[in-house]
Amino acid sequence: MTDTVDPAIRRDNRGAAADLDALRALAGPLFDALVGSGMAISVTDPRQADDPIVFVNAAFEGLTGYEAAEAVGRNCRFLQSDDTDPETVAKIAKALATTGTASADLLNARRDGATFWNRLNITTVRDASGAPAFRIATQMDVSADYRDEDLGRDLRATRQRLLEAKERLRIAQAVAGAAGAWEWDIARGRVIADPRFATLYGLDPVEAEQGLPTSAFFDTVYAADRLRLKIAVAGALNGAEVFARDYRVVVDGDVRWVSARGRTFLDADEQPVRFSGVLADITDQKRVEERLRIAQSAGGVGTFQYLSGFGTVDVSEEFCRLLGLHPAASLPVRTINALVHPDDPPLISALGDAPIGAAFHEFRVQRADDGLERWLACRGEHQLAPTGGISFIGVIYDITATKHSEARLRALAAALEERAEVTQQERDRVWNLSRDLLSISDRDGVYRAINPAWKDLLGYDAADLVGLPMGGLVHPDDKLHAQQQTAGLRAGDMVADFDCRVLAKDGEYRWINWTAVPEGGFIYAVGRDVTQRKALEDQLRQSQKMEAVGQLTGGLAHDFNNMLTGILGGIDMVRRRIGEGRMADAERFLDAAMQSGQRAAALTHRLLAFSRRQSLDSRPLDVRDLVASMEDLLRRTLGEQVRLESEVADDVWTALADDNQLESAILNLAINARDAMPRGGRLTIAARNVQLSAARLAKSDRAEPGDYVEISVSDTGLGMTPDVLGKVFDPFFTTKPLGQGTGLGLSMIYGFVQQSRGHIEIESREGAGTTIRLFLPRHLGEADEANDTHEVAAHAGAGETVLVVEDDPAVRLLVVQVLEELGYRAIETEGGRDANPILQSARSIDLMISDVGLPGLNGRQLAEIARESRPALPILFMTGYAEQASEQSAFLDEGMEIITKPFAIDQLARRIGAILERTKP
Amino acid sequence: MSIQSIFLEELERDALTELVNIGVSRAASSLRKMVGDQVLLSVPSVEVVTREGAATLIRERESGELVAVRQDFEGVFSGRALLIFPQVNSMALVHAVTGGALSEGEATEMEDEALTETGNVVLNSCLATMANMLQKPLQMSLPEVMRGDGASLFNLSAKHAEGGVVLFLYINFAINDRDIRGYIAMLMDLPSLQALRTLINDFIERVAGDVG
Amino acid sequence: MGTTVLIVDDSKLARIVVGKTIAALQPDWIRVEAGNADEALALIENQAVDLAVLDFNMPGRDGLDLAEELRARFPDMPIAVATANVQDEIMARARAANAAFIPKPVTEDGMRGFISGAALRLRSAGQ
Repeated sequence: MTDTVDPAIRRDNRGAAADLDALRALAGPLFDALVGSGMAISVTDPRQADDPIVFVNAAFEGLTGYEAAEAVGRNCRFLQSDDTDPETVAKIAKALATTGTASADLLNARRDGATFWNRLNITTVRDASGAPAFRIATQMDVSADYRDEDLGRDLRATRQRLLEAKERLRIAQAVAGAAGAWEWDIARGRVIADPRFATLYGLDPVEAEQGLPTSAFFDTVYAADRLRLKIAVAGALNGAEVFARDYRVVVDGDVRWVSARGRTFLDADEQPVRFSGVLADITDQKRVEERLRIAQSAGGVGTFQYLSGFGTVDVSEEFCRLLGLHPAASLPVRTINALVHPDDPPLISALGDAPIGAAFHEFRVQRADDGLERWLACRGEHQLAPTGGISFIGVIYDITATKHSEARLRALAAALEERAEVTQQERDRVWNLSRDLLSISDRDGVYRAINPAWKDLLGYDAADLVGLPMGGLVHPDDKLHAQQQTAGLRAGDMVADFDCRVLAKDGEYRWINWTAVPEGGFIYAVGRDVTQRKALEDQLRQSQKMEAVGQLTGGLAHDFNNMLTGILGGIDMVRRRIGEGRMADAERFLDAAMQSGQRAAALTHRLLAFSRRQSLDSRPLDVRDLVASMEDLLRRTLGEQVRLESEVADDVWTALADDNQLESAILNLAINARDAMPRGGRLTIAARNVQLSAARLAKSDRAEPGDYVEISVSDTGLGMTPDVLGKVFDPFFTTKPLGQGTGLGLSMIYGFVQQSRGHIEIESREGAGTTIRLFLPRHLGEADEANDTHEVAAHAGAGETVLVVEDDPAVRLLVVQVLEELGYRAIETEGGRDANPILQSARSIDLMISDVGLPGLNGRQLAEIARESRPALPILFMTGYAEQASEQSAFLDEGMEIITKPFAIDQLARRIGAILERTKP
Repeated sequence: MSIQSIFLEELERDALTELVNIGVSRAASSLRKMVGDQVLLSVPSVEVVTREGAATLIRERESGELVAVRQDFEGVFSGRALLIFPQVNSMALVHAVTGGALSEGEATEMEDEALTETGNVVLNSCLATMANMLQKPLQMSLPEVMRGDGASLFNLSAKHAEGGVVLFLYINFAINDRDIRGYIAMLMDLPSLQALRTLINDFIERVAGDVG
Repeated sequence: MGTTVLIVDDSKLARIVVGKTIAALQPDWIRVEAGNADEALALIENQAVDLAVLDFNMPGRDGLDLAEELRARFPDMPIAVATANVQDEIMARARAANAAFIPKPVTEDGMRGFISGAALRLRSAGQ
């Protein structure tokens, strides 16, 4: 073996042999094997000025026509021709500087001037200290691949475009999460899709990422939907901006509904160049929608959804039918309200000051088609919309018959009152023919008579019930509420529109809507079966949940894509400006990209808060400071009618919780309290130390007995009934609008307290105000050293080594760049597979920065492994969205911290600085 | 509505919707250049209705006075295209399109002028693009401003008045940040519909082979 | 001697927009306007015109008819037809009359090619 190598070395008369021995020592026998393999090899020494060649083998001489003596001592660039692509050269240099390895095809020139395509693979051999000692490059003539120069250029361009498209997709996917994304290159006639899209479509994910013929977009589409999809795509490819189609795909015999939303991008000449979008699985949503549609038309229930500030309302077909309008998916608010009787409240009112929570009202409409007057009821819920603003979602249904029976009931009562004036026959007709439950009870609520409808609907004869007290058949969960209603009747109040479940003889419960009046020593009641409507309301809520999911995966992903287009477009413009040397307006595009980015970040935060998976940053927290700092804001929010008092004990302990979340919880509670005091009152915010016993925490899932900081918000408002009280934390809580200020807000606070391992209690009596108590765990130790990181200026590194583990090249590049600019040494790895050997090696590492969601080993697992050999290694996790990380204190061990993506560069710099500062010996 | 299926198959409706989508996207892009703001479009709606039905559809959505720029077109198929918006939006639109070019006073004076030219550009872009897609030329009349309610806008000229039903296409648009919204609508009478149908089927055939 | 450009459009707003656009590209040019084909032809009798930008859709004779007539009388005059009617057929007719096609709404970018080409031709013809 040495024989074949030695001649080459002998020919090298510049004394590089000593170097080569060093190389052999580092690279081992492999090097000699390579040299003798017939593959062209060159070796350079990056420690010397200009990285000169120190060795070439015979195959290199054969390939390039240069003798070793001519090559050695020169930089490799002497092989470049006039047409060598400077960008590729720059990329190689960059790759070598960061990872130490590079692969590229370069147009080089032989000694005789003939050019050839050289496939370079360069790898760096490092010395014991980890510094580059040699670079070994293999070279291969691949001109055959580039036989036609034009073809070659195209190939490169395509590859470049592919890379860019893939990157765009990948980012879109990472941000959008669940939705699949595609990108259709119109000129090339290729479709590139991400793995999620590939899964939905039953395509090979690797091939899909590399690009498929456009037929792949249609092949697995359900045959009956295929041509319709083709037509819609043809529209998009010819410049139609809006692309929205729901269709079926068949994968392995399984039919799934997907929803595709896309958009066409035009070039400067308005020619379509790119058609991209996102795809979401909506099979479940479709199923619910279909059930709901059938149920709606059968049950005569129309649904609507309105977002504050919009001029139109999304409505169902049945909604239109109830108003006598043509079926439409959306109607202007004005059109809807114009049909409502002028003396009645509008169907849709401005939501500016609507209290969050359930709402109910009745009104008359004049139907648009036949001009008839009908009574309708509207039952709905005001919620904070995930995209901002307030949404009002609900149902309308016809209650004309109920209204009529109400009138009939009054007539009946009057008739009974004046027996003399009414014939037995007349009375009996109403009594016997009514489909509604009619009953007469005495003042004590004991049934005296029931009509035959009871038999038809519930199976009871008069003999079953007469003599028994009212309310005996009511569902246990509704009993309390029913008793209150009965008590009201005894006191002379009327009951209108009270829903409760009543046990039928067959053991089933049916929902009955009651109207009752006390009159002349008797209680007359009418009950109407509304079981179907109740079932619909349940289904509606279910479908809203599905819709929310659909929105997250579909519509919002699309918004993200638009924002990403802003970001990527801005960056692209900057790159071009830099390329052209026009720096003057680069700033403008950067600003635009930044703005888009911030918008996207704000949207993510809102979404995560909405889905209650926001990563909580529990820190030691001075409740006293926090309450004091909020007083001004609270005063302004509460207005002049409400007096604000704060009673925070001087010795209140440090709590452990996320300060932002606590702030928003207090604010939410204060707003609820304000709404519960329409005529003004007093709001008290108090904080004190308490010890909670196991008995008191019996109902809590997460809290354990011990020391807590109690923060209470009390009002002197309307209060709530016990019935409402039991349900206030239910996110889809809907009953009558008795409890003011309940709804999603409270359930979010509940979520926050649970996640913080705290406890929440609520105390309220009708007419006597409400107190809500949040118990947050006491922090044992010093208050708030971590908060300092906010103020620490970016700390300059002193060559500390930071191991970066991140599979996303864009984020990795950013982090490495920040580290290098700050004077740290970064070791760049893509995941556990690269990082682990480095962690196991003897190399000194001062900090590990790792993504949480990595392919293979996740960041947390990698941290475990790292800590085995390096127990004191500080670790900083980066996460965009990680369920495991949503509760940081449980996720993080000592010396571990987390930073949430997206983060500003300064923020990252400060965190790194602070960690390294703290761990300094 | 069974009347729909008699005149247009589902696929034909899809294809027509897409054609309108293409035309309107081009129109929106023109409008975008004129007002310098984002123009948002809805998914087009295609219906076969009676003329009164078309008026009702608009009236249900817009109860106030409307302004429209109308342009009649003729060729293998013929009908009327309308750019419609509430009267209360009219001046805002004029300001948006005249922008810096006119003083406040001039703009008010030129309200109809500016509306006509806007309608001309928007409707021409849309119709011309559709004609190109269908590969058949169309002659367009001079644009004309109309005011009134839905019913008066949809009275086709006597020449087209024979059929009881019309093909009615409409798209909502909104101009971002300006609180201007409106419709682009198209009405075609029955003989036109048959001719259009043939062209649409040619288009479908091209698409079926063309894409993928 | 200045360069005179004739703008023919029945819409005053359109004439303003076209005029402004030309002014931005060639501030020194003199702009004369006509509201229809007849007015334009009458104007030419009394005034030398170096180039013309014509609307297509006008009452009376349309812009292409006018272009053809102008072309017959001034074989070398740079003429453009500006319209939102972007039908292939209209564009082909403009090309046949040796007139440039400018899509409406008129923008500086849309106008630049025609104006700079015309300026070049007029300068070389003048030399």
